[in-house]
Amino acid sequence: MAVLRKDINELLTQTGPGTPMGELFRQYWIPALLAEELPEDDCPPVRVKLLSERMVAFRDSEGRYGLIDEFCAHRGASLWFGRNEGSGLRCPYHGWKYDVTGQCIEVPSEADNSSFCQNVQLTSYPLVKIGDVLWTHMGDAATRPPLPEFEWVHVPAEQTYTSKRWQQCNWLQAFEGGIDSSHVTFLHSGGLKTDPLFKGAKGNEYNLNDTKPFFEVADSVGGLFVGARRNAEEGQYYWRITPWVMPAFTMVPPRGDHPVHGHFWVPIDDENCWTYSFDYHPVRALTETERQAMIDGHGVHSKNIPGTYRPMANMDNDYLIDREAQKRGETYSGVAGIAMQDASLQESMGPIVDRSKERLVPADSGIIKARQKLRKAAIALRDEGVTPPGVDPAHQRVRSAAVVLPQAESFLDSCRDAVKVTPGVAQTSV
Amino acid sequence: MTTASMHLSESARAASASESRFRIDVPIAPARAARVVALDDRAASVVRRLAQRSWAHARFYTSREVRDGDGLLHELDGPTVPLDEVLAGTDVVVVLATEDGGRAAAAAIGRICGRRGITTAGVILGDGFEADDAVAALRPYARVLLLSADEGDAFELLTALRV
Repeated sequence: MAVLRKDINELLTQTGPGTPMGELFRQYWIPALLAEELPEDDCPPVRVKLLSERMVAFRDSEGRYGLIDEFCAHRGASLWFGRNEGSGLRCPYHGWKYDVTGQCIEVPSEADNSSFCQNVQLTSYPLVKIGDVLWTHMGDAATRPPLPEFEWVHVPAEQTYTSKRWQQCNWLQAFEGGIDSSHVTFLHSGGLKTDPLFKGAKGNEYNLNDTKPFFEVADSVGGLFVGARRNAEEGQYYWRITPWVMPAFTMVPPRGDHPVHGHFWVPIDDENCWTYSFDYHPVRALTETERQAMIDGHGVHSKNIPGTYRPMANMDNDYLIDREAQKRGETYSGVAGIAMQDASLQESMGPIVDRSKERLVPADSGIIKARQKLRKAAIALRDEGVTPPGVDPAHQRVRSAAVVLPQAESFLDSCRDAVKVTPGVAQTSV
Repeated sequence: MTTASMHLSESARAASASESRFRIDVPIAPARAARVVALDDRAASVVRRLAQRSWAHARFYTSREVRDGDGLLHELDGPTVPLDEVLAGTDVVVVLATEDGGRAAAAAIGRICGRRGITTAGVILGDGFEADDAVAALRPYARVLLLSADEGDAFELLTALRV
């Protein structure tokens, strides 16, 4: 019996219009682009491809954001070439002009009082700025959920930082790294000692001293909690608790008083995704040193080619692998940086990994369970119209946590408050 | 000093969509000789349903008397089998529990498997509270505990393990 049948792999990895997983993603608000990509009114438009749909985003003269079909309704020219002016985006080919809702507001070749343009409407989706991110909902407007309430985009601006990078593989294999705590001991072991956003925490010692963690995987209302347990002092366990909120939001358990990080994995098409990576601190501003480290690609962030969101270390240069640094013990895989250590291996699997060829072990139970939840939710939505977990903003108010507990205690019972967002209260961390 | 080459590399080509077609494609044999043990009556019902599916090497049991070092398990069709015999040649044991009744057996199976280097996984079905003690008993030994309201997770786990 195959680990994961090919038809289920296709169901989980295909997110275009009309696919079950594509419809699932269209139930949620998802990151469309960073706010920095549309920095001012009437700035240049930006091409955006999400869930296999090509669109263009722009910010009009009144500061309104729009996300509309990339191609002009007239002859199909890309509106990325459009002139963003006078409260609309004008196709430079023949001058057709659209507002942020995709409504055509001007067709110069028609008579001055013609009503023709009223009947021309491009597909459009809402685009809303929350925190450093512009969010969209690409599903039915009639069932549009309330805006997202993830803590990282709701703390004051000085407490948060978000970056993004293009990852050249399907969203699922990128996301699965986010709930796979067992790889940290190996792949990221160098970073625990040297990365400015990781090092120095007491919890790192437990990580490095116990390379065979045990796992507990438990349902949450919005997805899962994955607890990774390592030996601590006599009679105690060190727990790292990773929340997953469906479909694609994960958080990394914190280390000491370092900012808390996490990811949102967004399908571009079936062979590419955006990895949004964030750091925030619930109760204090990020220091200049911390923010600069994030900009420099430390922690979960990447150093990107200037003017792009493609990492400087990428598959075309073998991720700048440094075998000498590997031998010296500075990095485990030879690739520098947490983000590219993950991406290099996930991309090496190919654009869409064939999961029927896997040999999973019990430690992969979080991944097994997540696939099961995604598949069930997609089918329940398709067949019965059931709203999936994670749509309700209440499901999004979660945190990761790192704690030391007596061996007999359940992490779920002991950390009920720690894994909930409590404004004004710091993360629970070791 | 970086030793990276700046030209299009072998790995980049190997990871492309077109090159993925040339991966060696051979059938994967079932890898694990699993033993699946129900620790209580409701778990036994689940295990009976699981046993009706098609498996390669998995064998299914309910627990009867298990103490440290020895004990008896029931095969699903009735006869009892010494735990020692059940575990011979096994590399993974999956225990299922729905309540605390099986905590002593959970601890004993976990201990024995730990000593023998047999990977142990626990699937705790229900809301979790009814099986607190069983979870606590398994925790020191089970490489993974899956706390779930979904009986299908046990099937998914066994399928993923290619048993």
